Amino acid sequence: MISAIDVTKDYHTEGRVRRVLSNVSFTVAKGEKLALLGHNGAGKSTLIRLIGGVELPTLGTIKQTMSVSWPIGLAGGFHGSLTGNDNMRFIARVYNKPFAKVKDYVEDFAELGKFLSEPMRTYSTGMRARFMFALSLAIDFDCYLIDEVIAAGDQRFQSRSREELFEKRADRSMILASHINEIVKSYCSRALVLHRGRAKVFADLDLALDIYNYL
Amino acid sequence: MSAFWRGLVIQWRVVGALLIREIYSRFGRESLGFAWIVAEPLVFAIPVLFVWRAVRNPNEHGLSLMPFLWSGYLPLLLFRHLGGRILLFIRSNVPLLYHQRVKILDIFIARALLEIGSNLTALIVSFVVFYAIGAVDVPRDLPMFYLGYFYMIWWSVAVALIIGALCERTDWVQQIWLPYSYLFMMFSGFFFLSDWLPPIIRNIALYQPYTQAYEMIRGGVFGATVTTHSDPAYTTFALAILTLFGLWLMRESRKYVVIE
Repeated sequence: MISAIDVTKDYHTEGRVRRVLSNVSFTVAKGEKLALLGHNGAGKSTLIRLIGGVELPTLGTIKQTMSVSWPIGLAGGFHGSLTGNDNMRFIARVYNKPFAKVKDYVEDFAELGKFLSEPMRTYSTGMRARFMFALSLAIDFDCYLIDEVIAAGDQRFQSRSREELFEKRADRSMILASHINEIVKSYCSRALVLHRGRAKVFADLDLALDIYNYL
Repeated sequence: MSAFWRGLVIQWRVVGALLIREIYSRFGRESLGFAWIVAEPLVFAIPVLFVWRAVRNPNEHGLSLMPFLWSGYLPLLLFRHLGGRILLFIRSNVPLLYHQRVKILDIFIARALLEIGSNLTALIVSFVVFYAIGAVDVPRDLPMFYLGYFYMIWWSVAVALIIGALCERTDWVQQIWLPYSYLFMMFSGFFFLSDWLPPIIRNIALYQPYTQAYEMIRGGVFGATVTTHSDPAYTTFALAILTLFGLWLMRESRKYVVIE
């Protein structure tokens, strides 16, 4: 289970304080899939980073009692001057997974071929996203934090991602920021709507989507 | 297994992974980077030896020059390299903090271990080379030498903790580090034994933990042939306080890290 209690996050820019999240509370039980809905700048990515422990909340607490992935999105988590293989080796070591198995899975899923022995700074954004996504599936977490990434890649990659994530890992928890209504409706059981740093949980997804579209 | 031990096992694994990653990204797989770390003190010390021998009395204050230089320069290198490598280390490793298990302190430990390891390798290799050509002897009081070197490592780590954490808050730390690491050479004890100083200055100099460490290293190398003034109890106390301060700053530094 993940529980966020009164989470507030401030950023300091040019001497001014900007409150990105204000008293956000929610829980995600084992196996539950929570959608994050909000327009750009509403604080979705910030919230995902706080849950993933990448940044610390200014106020409030976040508790995790299951293994939580790093925020899987379009950026972060790898070292640009190292090759894909070296990054894989590092992450496999950190999470104590056998490198050979991780490598097989990533090779098959990300379809990066020879690029795996190139430094990752030479990858395109889409390739990086595919690589890190494949890697997170290979590590196998109880809860996945997903920031728009399933919108990356081509049609084929998208459909494989959905299959791996929502069908093969139907028993896992997920916190999913997505603009795609259809994904939210078919896979999520509740939604957290974010607006100007405030958040509210809805069990009725149609209502949540209506509110989000109206905002 | 208790949560504490599980945490320790994870931390150990993360530090190991970071160490290997650090070696790859710094030295590459085929470059001579690691060999250079070992060779550098030799490249410095050999020309200096000849120049000093040409212009100065090789037995200054009754001490032979080469052991004096050797036992002065290697600790200095450790301090300068560790400090230099730790500047902005958090910023340059931000992508790793995406992984919850990787803590800032783990990255610090991995970097410090690599720097200490390569310095100790350089210490041993340079000793063997200079011993083989008859320039240095086995330190007369080995335990004292080890103790002094241990304090020098501790001092370098404590300073690295402090500047590594502070340089995330202000650019001043970087500006100051370069002149400081040069000036350090002058007042650290690289060029002198505290016994050569007037008593008033000596008493001030001995408040510096690194001067204490140099005294012990020199006492180790030259044994009873020199008079050294060192106080391990004071040094331990001073370094423990600096280390606690550094660890506290390092913990606070998480708040100052902005992740893209």
